Amino acid sequence: MSWTTVVGLEIHAQMATQTKMFCSCRRGSSISPNESICPVCVGWPGALPVLQSEAIRCAIRAALCLHCDIQEFSRFDRKNYFYPDLPKGYQISQFYRPYALGGVIPFEREDGSPAELPLVRIHMEEDAGKSIHESDGTSRIDLNRCSSPLLEIVSEPLPMTGKEAASCVRSVRDLLRWVGVCDGDMEKGNLRCDVNVSVMPAESSEYGTRTELKNLNSFVSIERSVLVESARQIEVLTGGGEIRQETRLWDQDREITESMRGKEDSPDYRYFPEPDLPVVQIGSQDVEEQRAALPEMPEVRLSRWLNDYGFPQLETVPLMARRANGDYLEEVIQAGADPASASNWFRGEVLRHLNDRSEKIEDFPVKAADLAALISAVKEDRLSGGRAKSLLQEALDPAVCLNSLIEEAGSQEQDTDALAGWVDQVMQENPDAIAKIKAGDMKPMGFLMGQIMKLSSGQAHPKKVQELIRSRLS
Amino acid sequence: MSESADSGVLPAPESTSLEVMAHLKTGKCTTVELIRHYLKYLETIGRDLGAAVEILSDSALAAAQESDTRRASGKPLGCLEGVPFTAKMNIATREGTTDAASGMLRGFAASEDSTAVARLRAEGAILVGKSNCDEFAMGASNESSHHGVVHNPWDRDRVPGGSSGGAAALAGSFGWAFHLGSDTGGSIRQPAAFCGATGMKPTWGRVSRRGLVAFGSSLDQIGPLTRDARDAQLVLSVMEGRDPLDATSQSFNPSETSSMKRIGLVSEGLTEAIAPEIRQRTVEVVERLKKMGHEVVEVSLGTLSKANACYQVIATAEASSNLARFDGIHTGQRVQSEDLEELYSKSRRQGFGAEVRRRIMLGTFVLSSGYIDAYYGKAQQVRREIRQEMLSALDKVDSLMMPVSPFAPFRIGERVSDPLALYACDILTVTANLAGVPAVAIPCGFDSEGLPIGLQWMGKHGDDHRLLDLATSLQDQDDSWRGLPPGGSQ
Repeated sequence: MSWTTVVGLEIHAQMATQTKMFCSCRRGSSISPNESICPVCVGWPGALPVLQSEAIRCAIRAALCLHCDIQEFSRFDRKNYFYPDLPKGYQISQFYRPYALGGVIPFEREDGSPAELPLVRIHMEEDAGKSIHESDGTSRIDLNRCSSPLLEIVSEPLPMTGKEAASCVRSVRDLLRWVGVCDGDMEKGNLRCDVNVSVMPAESSEYGTRTELKNLNSFVSIERSVLVESARQIEVLTGGGEIRQETRLWDQDREITESMRGKEDSPDYRYFPEPDLPVVQIGSQDVEEQRAALPEMPEVRLSRWLNDYGFPQLETVPLMARRANGDYLEEVIQAGADPASASNWFRGEVLRHLNDRSEKIEDFPVKAADLAALISAVKEDRLSGGRAKSLLQEALDPAVCLNSLIEEAGSQEQDTDALAGWVDQVMQENPDAIAKIKAGDMKPMGFLMGQIMKLSSGQAHPKKVQELIRSRLS
Repeated sequence: MSESADSGVLPAPESTSLEVMAHLKTGKCTTVELIRHYLKYLETIGRDLGAAVEILSDSALAAAQESDTRRASGKPLGCLEGVPFTAKMNIATREGTTDAASGMLRGFAASEDSTAVARLRAEGAILVGKSNCDEFAMGASNESSHHGVVHNPWDRDRVPGGSSGGAAALAGSFGWAFHLGSDTGGSIRQPAAFCGATGMKPTWGRVSRRGLVAFGSSLDQIGPLTRDARDAQLVLSVMEGRDPLDATSQSFNPSETSSMKRIGLVSEGLTEAIAPEIRQRTVEVVERLKKMGHEVVEVSLGTLSKANACYQVIATAEASSNLARFDGIHTGQRVQSEDLEELYSKSRRQGFGAEVRRRIMLGTFVLSSGYIDAYYGKAQQVRREIRQEMLSALDKVDSLMMPVSPFAPFRIGERVSDPLALYACDILTVTANLAGVPAVAIPCGFDSEGLPIGLQWMGKHGDDHRLLDLATSLQDQDDSWRGLPPGGSQ
């Protein structure tokens, strides 16, 4: 019998806001433990949560890029449970009335065909703190993360493979990153995922009993755990057993899933409306403001690049990987560089330097306008390609201004005395070649050029060298 | 600070806060003299009654000195300049502790003033102490405080009501000061009625809850307990209004500014369940209102019979969540333990008193899977009905009146072992909290045993000051409330 695996996703994405969700404490991880806390986020008696508008704006952008139906009225609820890193004894979440319904995650099937995973909802909630368990049995609690804003993206179940499930999460990660909602580093935990897995006979249309795999933190673990868990379920079912609805944990090293708790042991969160927060109203104006603030979306940018700039499809892959890369390239083009050269320079030189220095484009010391000037100088034959590349290398030193390097180099090359010196020297050293050319055989021209370039360490401008040789010979 | 240093003439003991300010203005005594005497009252009668649990002499005298200096140098004065006030133990103040009368929060010092206290201080009011109350404001007799019981100043064998029993006993036994209480299901109005004080529960959201230790957040409001409605009016006008640190707070405008002409007498407040003398007094006050030119009509609030059950479900549900933070790990007394579960259960068993534990368990139950629809869900539905009925009644009349308590102050210990008998104290007060409307309780004479009787008036959302105007006009017609209990004023 052949089986179909059905997968549903719950993706938790930390929103990349400046502050926490209900107080003005700074959000972030690069601070020492319990540095960024206040009476509100640690739940001191008498302190009250106040929703920060930045979190709402961020959440609206997420809902827009996943094509959700944004609700004009939504509400917060309390999710009650005891845990040492949850100082209020409840998490403020949206259970009964989430702010976004529906929507889709676009993804690619294993055969390359495009598909969509339908969403049930997205809701906002605050994160808990972190417990750090020491080897001596003690635990320490860091509340910096407490009350950081999270989005929980919940999908419908859909028949798919483990690889496709991972592709869905990657697609969400890329989109959220693209619109600046989430940093999307799974290894840093700012994107986490629970996966619901069930299997059914291939001819069936009725989904089987699902199990939930908690807290998967890499694409590989999503892909592998779905594969392993569905195989386990198929084995149980073909052996005449039944699947128990339960929560299971993925053991990455042993590549097995293990039962954590059954449905009957699942916590009762006693959700009820949060009385400390008024109803959240998201008006059409709020939505339109965020829509206007959205960057050009990837599919729009790609088609524009293919059609308007004529980029070959393959070239666009490294350019689309991060929005900031494409933004930089766009800036270079806007500053006057021709698109094809700009793309070549970006892929050839800029990305290489970024890799060498393991930097992001945001930290690249050369301004887009300066790079455009460099590209134009080459295009207009004011600089040779080789010379331009070495200038770019020099300009990686933040103390160096590329623009003045270009001016300097340009004027040096216009120094016809130097150029004439190189040309005359090479002509004198190669009388045979000169004789041949004079006789009408142009083949040695390339050899002479090479010699002159060598002598000038690549600085001589080829076109001007040719002109000079011709004028000397005529 | 010898007594001989005080040479000024102090205001009469029963004086209201407004009268005290007028007195200070004449220069008959200094603020320091006034405050020093009030602190002495707290140390003696306030302590004897069990009402004053913390007396903040140093900071109060320093503030009084500053006030005298301001006055002497002709600097601008606040609209509550020099008036002493106390805050209930569940209202955060930067001096003293804010333990909500619970062993769980023993010694808990808030880092900042609650918004209400900060606004009052900014207008020159002087915090002199913290008042006793039921543990986490849960109770109607002030018998569940870990600071001990509070005595009713009119009969010390009787309870002062609760949960703001300390504030009410202070307001009922001596003048000058005003007292901040909190009202979740009647916790300002019922003790005010028991002690012969004026108590005001504002519209929900009118006074910031920031700094109030939460009990039932959708019901809780901070409000004043005072000698009369004029004082309550002034105190409320200073505390009220939108606070950026409480997202549910707002500034209200009254629906109308005219005086409340049409009064609805709630017929369910005059049933057999209400003590005859209280019914009798209600009828007399109705006659007085008519003489004053008001139109009084009988109005039925059919939902009143459902209100207490609805309240118990919603208040305990919210309390079970609000009190979860007292886990012995971050906030609250910790009982050290090897095991996490045990740490939680031991800390909470030891830290909370019996009534608080009972309500946490009730609240946890009504929110539990399998029961939430039958209890919490149903209660929310009933709450909407109550609110709707209240608002449509208030479309026909300006204000609804009824007694505050179905019975007179009872004896200490009389009901403490019977939770249902205690919950019955709330039957007439919880409706205003469930509907979120303002309600003022004022003293309206005494029963045959000499115990105060209080009546209450409710109005539309935002009509707080119109209600207080009505209360003022009633108090201007009958000054029986002015008298202090024998022995109360030393």
